[in-house]
Amino acid sequence: MDMKRDYYEDVELFKSGTILFWSIAFLIFLFTLPIYLPSYNVYLLNIIMVHVILAVGLNILVGYTGQISLGHAGFFAIGAYGTSLLMMHLHLPFIAAIIIAALIAAFFGFIIGLPALRLEGPYLAIATLGFGLTIMHIIGRWEVFGGRMGISAPPLDLGIPDTSLSWVINGDVKIYYLILIITVLMVIAARNMMKTRIGRAFMSIRDDDIAAEVMGVNLTIYKTMSFGVSAFYAGVAGGLYGFVVGYFDPFSFNLILSIVFLVMITVGGLGSIMGAIMGAVLITYLQFDLLKNVENLPYLGELLVAISRKWFTVIGLANFSHIALGLIMIAIVIFEPLGMFGIWIRIKKYWKTWPF
Amino acid sequence: MKKVVFAFMIVFTFLAVSTFANAAARPGYDDKEIRIGQWGPQTGPAAPWGSVARGSALLFNVVNEQGGIHGRKIKYFIRDDQYNPAQTKAVVKELVERVGVFAFVGGVGGACGLAVMDYLAENKIIWVGPSAAITDFVFPVKPYLFAVYPLYEDEGSILAKYVVEKLKSKKIAFFYQNDAYGKDGLKGAKKRLATYKMKFVEEIPVEPGEKDLSSQMLKFKKSGADVVMMFVNPTIATIALKTSATVDFKPQWVSSNTLSDYGLMFKITGGLWEGVITGAFGMTPTADHPLMNMYREAGKKYAPEERWGTFYLAGVVFADPLVEALKRVGPKLTRDAALRELNSLTNHQTIGPKITWTPKIHQGTDSIQIQKCGPNASYILLQDWTPNELATWKKK
Repeated sequence: MDMKRDYYEDVELFKSGTILFWSIAFLIFLFTLPIYLPSYNVYLLNIIMVHVILAVGLNILVGYTGQISLGHAGFFAIGAYGTSLLMMHLHLPFIAAIIIAALIAAFFGFIIGLPALRLEGPYLAIATLGFGLTIMHIIGRWEVFGGRMGISAPPLDLGIPDTSLSWVINGDVKIYYLILIITVLMVIAARNMMKTRIGRAFMSIRDDDIAAEVMGVNLTIYKTMSFGVSAFYAGVAGGLYGFVVGYFDPFSFNLILSIVFLVMITVGGLGSIMGAIMGAVLITYLQFDLLKNVENLPYLGELLVAISRKWFTVIGLANFSHIALGLIMIAIVIFEPLGMFGIWIRIKKYWKTWPF
Repeated sequence: MKKVVFAFMIVFTFLAVSTFANAAARPGYDDKEIRIGQWGPQTGPAAPWGSVARGSALLFNVVNEQGGIHGRKIKYFIRDDQYNPAQTKAVVKELVERVGVFAFVGGVGGACGLAVMDYLAENKIIWVGPSAAITDFVFPVKPYLFAVYPLYEDEGSILAKYVVEKLKSKKIAFFYQNDAYGKDGLKGAKKRLATYKMKFVEEIPVEPGEKDLSSQMLKFKKSGADVVMMFVNPTIATIALKTSATVDFKPQWVSSNTLSDYGLMFKITGGLWEGVITGAFGMTPTADHPLMNMYREAGKKYAPEERWGTFYLAGVVFADPLVEALKRVGPKLTRDAALRELNSLTNHQTIGPKITWTPKIHQGTDSIQIQKCGPNASYILLQDWTPNELATWKKK
C-alpha cells in the first residue's frame, strides 16, 4: 500500500491531502490544548514534549543507526546546565544559549562517537554508560555548576536580557507554546533528515556496516554524526527541561534516566519518529501521572489498593507502579516487537483495507 | 492473543482518560475534611527516607481517631517522587491543582523542595517541616514555609560543645561531605571550637560517591584524633567505620542526626555503629514518655509492618506543629487563621524539639538531643534538648 513511484514522493512531508488535513487539525488541537486542560496537565505536557525531543534524538542514534547509548542523561544534563549557566553568567538570550548548549552537547556526542567507531554492542553500552556517570559526577563536584545542591533556572528571557528588548515568559502555558514550537520543528527536522542521504547512510550502517562502507558510506563521518545529532537533540531537550522544572541537581540526571529514555524508544518503536513520540508520551504519562494515581482509577483502583494492603510492603501502591511499568514494557516487547509503532501500522492497515 | 492485548489497551486508555475527569482544585478543606499532602521517595535510590512520609500518616491517623480537628478529618495524600525534582513538581502540582490540598508537611530532598518552593509560595500553600535543613528555606523568611528541622550549623556547634566539655577531648578531627550539609556542620563546629581557642587536628572533605576511604582514615589516625565528628551520608559513614576498623583506628565517632536511625546504621555497618554518638531531632523511639507510648501503640495498630525507627517518627515530628496550629484555629478555618496560629506558636513541644515561630523567623528550633547507639541498635539518651546559644539567626 505504501508504494513509492519516485524519490520526491518518498521525501514528501505530507503524502496526501488527508494526511495534511489531519496533521493541521492535530497541530491546531495541540495549540488550543491549554484552553481545555487544567494547568497541572500543562506541566505534564511540557515534560512529555521535552522527552519527545530527546526520544526522537535518541532514536536517530539507536533506532536508525543501530548504536546504543546508556549515557543520554549526560547530554541532557549538558543541555540543562549549559543553557542556564550561559544565560546566568554571559547574559545570552534564551535561543542563543540553548543552541550553544546543544552544540556543546553535540560536540561531546562527537567525542563519544569516536570510540564508537571501534566499539559495538555491550562495549559501546559500557563506554556511553561511563560518560553519563562521569558528567553527573563532574557537575556535582564543580562549584561553578552549583555543586551537588543544584541550581535554579534563570528567568526564561526570549529577548535580550537587561535591555528594553527583554521578554521574560513565565508560567506553564507560555512555556508550553515555546516548547511546542521547538518540538514540532525538531520532529520535522528529524523526519526530513531521515529521508535524505544522511538518514539512509545511518540505516545502512544499522543494517550492515561493512556493506555500507563498501557502498561508499564513510563510517567515521556518519557514526560520529549520528552521535552528534542525537546529542544535539538531547541538549535542546535538556535546555528546555531546566525551565520546565525550574530547579535541578546533578542527581536528576542519573543512570536510571538514561535507561528510561531507552525504554521510551523501545516501547514506542525503534527506528521510527512516530514510535519515539508515542513511547515518550506513554512512558512519561505512566511514570509522572497515571501510576502515581492508581488509587483514583475507577473500579481498578480500589482492587489494587486492596491487593497492595494484603501482600505488598509498607510503601503501598508505589510498589505497584514499578511492577505495572515493567509489565507494560514486557508485554509490548513480547507481543509487539515493533513497539507501539507496530500497533499503529496495524490499525492503519486495517482501516485502509477495510472492509476486507 | 494480540486481540486480547489490544482490548486490554483500549480499556486501559479509557480508564486513563477518565482520571482526567476529576474535579478541579478546591480550597483544601471543607466542613468534613482538611487535605494535607507530602512527597517522599517510596521507591528508587533514596527509598529508605520514604518512611518520613508514612510516619506523618501515623500522626494523622491518631488525630482522626480522636475525632479529627474540630470535626474535620485529615485526608492525607502521599506521593512517590523517586527523589527526582521533575517528579516532585509533577506530584505537587497534581495535589495542589487537581486534588486541592490545604498544606504540605515534610518532604524529603533538598533539590526536590527547592524545585517546588516558589510554586508553593505563589499558590499560598502552607508548608510545614521540610525534611531537610536548607538555609534557603528559612533565610530570608518565606511567609508560607515553616521549618522544624534543626540547622546543621547549630547541630555542629552543639555536638562540638559536647565533645569538648563532656568527652573532654583535646584532639578532635572533622570528616564532612563536600557540600552544603557538611560545610554548614563544619562552620558551626569551628565557631564553637574557637570559643575554646581550639582547632580541629584534621579536617577532611569527602565526595558522596567515594568508595575507598583508606587514605582519609590513615590521615585521621596519624593526626592522633581521639574523637572524629562526621557530617556524611550513610554509605560514607559505613565505609569509614569499616576502613578505620581495619587500620586499627578506633576513635569516638560523633555524627549528625542524619545518621541517627540506629536500626539502619547498625545493620549496614555490621554492628560497628555501637557506641557512636549522634545528634537527634526527636526523642529516642524507645523513650518512656506518655506521647511516645501512645504513638507506639498506634503504630502497632495502623502500621504493624513498619520499622519503628527515627525517620518514621520524624514524620510525626515534622507534621505535629501544623496539627497543633490547626487545633488552635478553632472551627472557623481559613488559610490566614492557620498562618496566624503558626506565626504565634511558642515553645510548642511533643516528641520533637520546642518549636517557636514568629512572623520574622520561620526556623522553628536550634535544639537537638544527643544520643548514643547501644548494643543491638538500642538508643541511649546522653543529653536532653540542648539549644545552640551561639546561633546567630536568632538575633535577627
